Amino acid sequence: MANGATIELLYFARIAELVGKRGEAYPLAQPVSGRELLAELESRYPGLAPASRLKLAVNQYHRPASVTIRPGDEVAVFEPVTGG
Amino acid sequence: MDASAPRRIVVSEADFDAAALQAELRDACAARAGAIATFTGYVRDFAPGEPTRTLYLEHYPGMCERELGEIGDTALQRWDIAGYVIAHRHGALQRNDQIVFVAAASAHRGDAFRACEYIMDALKTRAPFWKRETLADGRSFWVQARESDFERARQWEPGASPTTENNNG
Repeated sequence: MANGATIELLYFARIAELVGKRGEAYPLAQPVSGRELLAELESRYPGLAPASRLKLAVNQYHRPASVTIRPGDEVAVFEPVTGG
Repeated sequence: MDASAPRRIVVSEADFDAAALQAELRDACAARAGAIATFTGYVRDFAPGEPTRTLYLEHYPGMCERELGEIGDTALQRWDIAGYVIAHRHGALQRNDQIVFVAAASAHRGDAFRACEYIMDALKTRAPFWKRETLADGRSFWVQARESDFERARQWEPGASPTTENNNG
């Protein structure tokens, strides 16, 4: 963490309301799986539970929870999309 | 895929002119497109007896444009289409406002219809937009994704046998 390794978290729609912000720099020294990150976020923001329903985009691509997230990534957390 | 094919993505808060977008696609395809299939989506009432007052569309700038372009390019590879337009609004919309417009140009109507339908089905499950509905009685909520939209999108996956493709007449 000394070198300030972080990911940029972005929250959208209902998730932004539940978390109370639209994004944050989140400390991440080592790669983690999407599932691990979502579990961490769920314990930090209990309103997100159950995190298993949440979707991830990493560097603006949809990714499954098995994705590996690395320091420097842009990670968006959201519920299933409802456009169109 | 024809790299020179007209491919237009519009993500904007401002309203779009569907007729102008269609005419622009027709002109850009010159005489290669004998057919343009279009789809326009509007803000409708949330449910019968539950009139919508306003709809707010949140979006993920950057990813929206990229994802829509990828969906359009997949249509371009998969069907014999000469070009496409995909327009989607964000921000505060009113009842009856336009939300989304898709046009696919082709020499053949079957390809134009299928490309247009594929683009809409893929957009509904992949393009990062989220609707917040405010009803006439003041209730307000984030719209939940529908399983039927995911089922429709899955019909287009390789190996699936989409009923839409067997319905060519």
